[in-house]
Amino acid sequence: MIVTTLKPLDEVLGFILPYSDILVVGCDGCNQPPRGLREASTLSQLLDLAGKSRGKVFNFKMTTVGKQCDDYMAASVLKPQIGNAEAVLSLACGLGVQTLAKVFPELPVFPAQNTHFMGAEDRDDGILEMRCAGCGDCLLAVTGGICPVARCPKGLLNGACGGAKDDKCELSPEKDCAWVLIYNILKRQGKLDLLKGYRPPRDYQLTGWKIPT
Amino acid sequence: MSELVPQEDSARVEEVSRGAEGKVYLAPCQIACPLGEDIQRSHAMLALLPLDPEEAARQIIKIGDEIYEKNPLFPVCSYICGLCERQCNYRDETGAVRRRMLVRLVADRYLKYLDTAPTLPTPDKEKVAVIGSGPGGLMCAYELSKRGYRVTILERSRELGGALRLIPRYRIPRGVIDSVISSLLRIAHIEVRLGAEIGGVGKRLDDIKKEGYQAIFLATGTPVGRLLTIDGKPVDNVDLEGVTFGLNLLYEVNQGIASPRFYRSKKVIVVGGGNVAFDVARTARRLGGEVTLVCLENEDRSSRNGIPADEDEVEGATQEGIRVVYSRGVVEIIGESGKFRKIKCPRCTSVFDEDGGFNPRFDHDDVVYLDGDVLLVTIGQEQDRTVYEQEGLLGEGGKLEVDEITLMSNLKEGVFIGGDVRRIGFAAEAMWDGLNAAESIDRYIRGENLTAGRKKEYQDAPVLSNAYYKPQPPLVWVPAEERLNFEPFEEAFTLEQVVEEARRCLCCGPCKSCKGCVAAGLQPVLPGITYDEELCINCGDCAYYCPCDAISFRSPHGVSFDMTLCRGCGLCAAVCPAMAIELENWERARISGAITEAVSEMKRPGILVFLCQWTVLPHLDKKINPNVGIIDVPCAARVEGIHILEALQQGFGGILIIACPEEDCHRQTGSREAQRSIEALDNRLSQIGLQDRVGFCTVTPRHQEEFDRELERFNRKIESIGSKESR
Repeated sequence: MIVTTLKPLDEVLGFILPYSDILVVGCDGCNQPPRGLREASTLSQLLDLAGKSRGKVFNFKMTTVGKQCDDYMAASVLKPQIGNAEAVLSLACGLGVQTLAKVFPELPVFPAQNTHFMGAEDRDDGILEMRCAGCGDCLLAVTGGICPVARCPKGLLNGACGGAKDDKCELSPEKDCAWVLIYNILKRQGKLDLLKGYRPPRDYQLTGWKIPT
Repeated sequence: MSELVPQEDSARVEEVSRGAEGKVYLAPCQIACPLGEDIQRSHAMLALLPLDPEEAARQIIKIGDEIYEKNPLFPVCSYICGLCERQCNYRDETGAVRRRMLVRLVADRYLKYLDTAPTLPTPDKEKVAVIGSGPGGLMCAYELSKRGYRVTILERSRELGGALRLIPRYRIPRGVIDSVISSLLRIAHIEVRLGAEIGGVGKRLDDIKKEGYQAIFLATGTPVGRLLTIDGKPVDNVDLEGVTFGLNLLYEVNQGIASPRFYRSKKVIVVGGGNVAFDVARTARRLGGEVTLVCLENEDRSSRNGIPADEDEVEGATQEGIRVVYSRGVVEIIGESGKFRKIKCPRCTSVFDEDGGFNPRFDHDDVVYLDGDVLLVTIGQEQDRTVYEQEGLLGEGGKLEVDEITLMSNLKEGVFIGGDVRRIGFAAEAMWDGLNAAESIDRYIRGENLTAGRKKEYQDAPVLSNAYYKPQPPLVWVPAEERLNFEPFEEAFTLEQVVEEARRCLCCGPCKSCKGCVAAGLQPVLPGITYDEELCINCGDCAYYCPCDAISFRSPHGVSFDMTLCRGCGLCAAVCPAMAIELENWERARISGAITEAVSEMKRPGILVFLCQWTVLPHLDKKINPNVGIIDVPCAARVEGIHILEALQQGFGGILIIACPEEDCHRQTGSREAQRSIEALDNRLSQIGLQDRVGFCTVTPRHQEEFDRELERFNRKIESIGSKESR
């Protein structure tokens, strides 16, 4: 999922203050935490209260889309709803914001969130953590399902560096060393021989930036 | 909020089954209660007792009515039972919920009302005879009368009650038993014949049938004491002066035959390790005796050879100065000129053999002699077999031939047998036999199949995974030196203690089998869940946050709600980012409507309070608080940010969410989750200069003064914000 956080309200308020009729669009896609109809509503209410205390009356219309980053879906769902909106406020990640900007080229589209990374959710610890770097050359089959590219700050491909101490990364005593995790899981699975192979340096071209659908 | 009209029977308990086998799903306490009392329901109703004393008194009678309907002897049970407490999910944590003490308060209030309680409709169906008037016989008679049969109880002695009459009065006042029995006879129109001898020189069962009785329930108990034996042979010298059965003592004391100082400066030896032996020892102690109790079993009750008496009994007896001699048997009773003098007691090395059979082994090299003036043998009780032999009810080996399920004799049609005579157990178990026999007799007389659908399988409901365990309140006893008389020494709980203790109940069973909140008037009907699958975005938040594990994922899409587990807090509806879930009766639109209504009712919108209903606080006096509106919610967790913001948009100066303290939260995590979400909202409001407009606080249920204090504090805060703004 794409991990996002809400922008401070005064920043968002600054974006929309010149406008009155605003379409607030949630995203029901991979955004985490989910920012669907509820957040569209809550955000509108908060901005309405903030506007009133500044003598400004907004007219918000709230809606949501399955995936904002799909231009076809976004256009199909939102164009009939756009009405006389003067601006669009997006509750998606940066992808959704940019897609809406493409769908409504004549309108300003504002992000209500900051976008961070591709992360996974750990419910018990209540955290979202980066787990995939989108390197284009997935190694997880040989690293026990733990990605050293995303989880080792150095992105090492052939084992731990010399900085690991007490199974932790030299960057922070709270951060597990990805290679220790990999070693432990492979050991448990009796697959330590997977570590014997040598992996050449990453081909950064594989990350890519455009793929035909 | 717009009023919901209670539906007919919306408070009626429903049976819930789970799993492929369709086992009945219930709290373990309720599975343990032979009479199927709706334990959780009465606990919920007590926890939700209104603050107004008159309303509370009415509610207590209502609770009593409900318990009475299932168990007309419940005031007695509130002194002597506690089978449910043994199975309480709380038991191994901080100690069982003290159901017995909760019911005691209900019983004490109910007994006064019982004398004038309305009777059942006059029965007009066939006649049934019940022989024996112990708990089993009484229960059977009551149940049959409820079903319209005309019942006659035949009792050999001069008063009703059977083994109940052997319970020492320091454990239960005589008046309670008298009152319960006399009311039962009146309410259920039961005819009684005292001094009715059956078998021997008395009537035969055929004579009774000839009188028009269509069925007979034999519940004659175990009135005969068991003799001491060694290697299968009776121990000699039981006819010495001073040797008797403990049962005889209990009977004589309760009949007022034994004088208060009967055993003054006498050395009394009681033989036996069960609860009855302790009743005898403690009774003897109260008659002035210097008492020693000898038992085969050892002190370690967790071991196979451990003492069977309840821990409380042993502790109480020890406090009262009774000496307990463990692991000793009696192999010889020694007298002197016809009077009891001493017993010979070798050390008992094991009580039961490998197969669990009673087969005591002794070390005859380790022997002590215990001197005494009186020997009270209390090592168990037996049936009086005369009538069973005479009527041909015994099979091979002299055992009663009774069907386990129907309780009908396998050897004689229309004759049913139950209670201690069938299997020695607790009073409630004998009552269960009575109930069961009544069901069979009803079917028998109507010519129906006796066994169809009788056997039920149960599944224990566990505690919620987030359970918060509060300490168990101690039982308070009058100090030992002041209680050596026949006055009850266990102090009753006050009303406040009862409510507090009832709140400790975790309500493990399904809501549908309880509905205590509905019966208490908290809500008109148990709310259901409405789920719009099309809106669902599969985020899983509802399933994760549900405190009751009632929501599970459906593959490949969506969630399902297990309404046997749902407790109707509405947290799922409040967290759903897609607003795909609604809690019935507390739908978003209804709450919005309530906010609008609250605004319109106030001259100058001030404060809106979302109040958890489980705090059991009455509505505010509008004259005192003209600027406060209150919206009841089933749990603070139901409150959504959008409602709080809506109230602010409509002009309320501040919104206060009042929850129960975490340890009191009926849904365990509801209070905590409400606080978390409100703090997050407050943080966002502070970003736009509206900090401190939303407050969260907890109020101990039924503590009006805490509520007033919190409201006052919040009011001051909002007023100071208002005056700052106007400046």
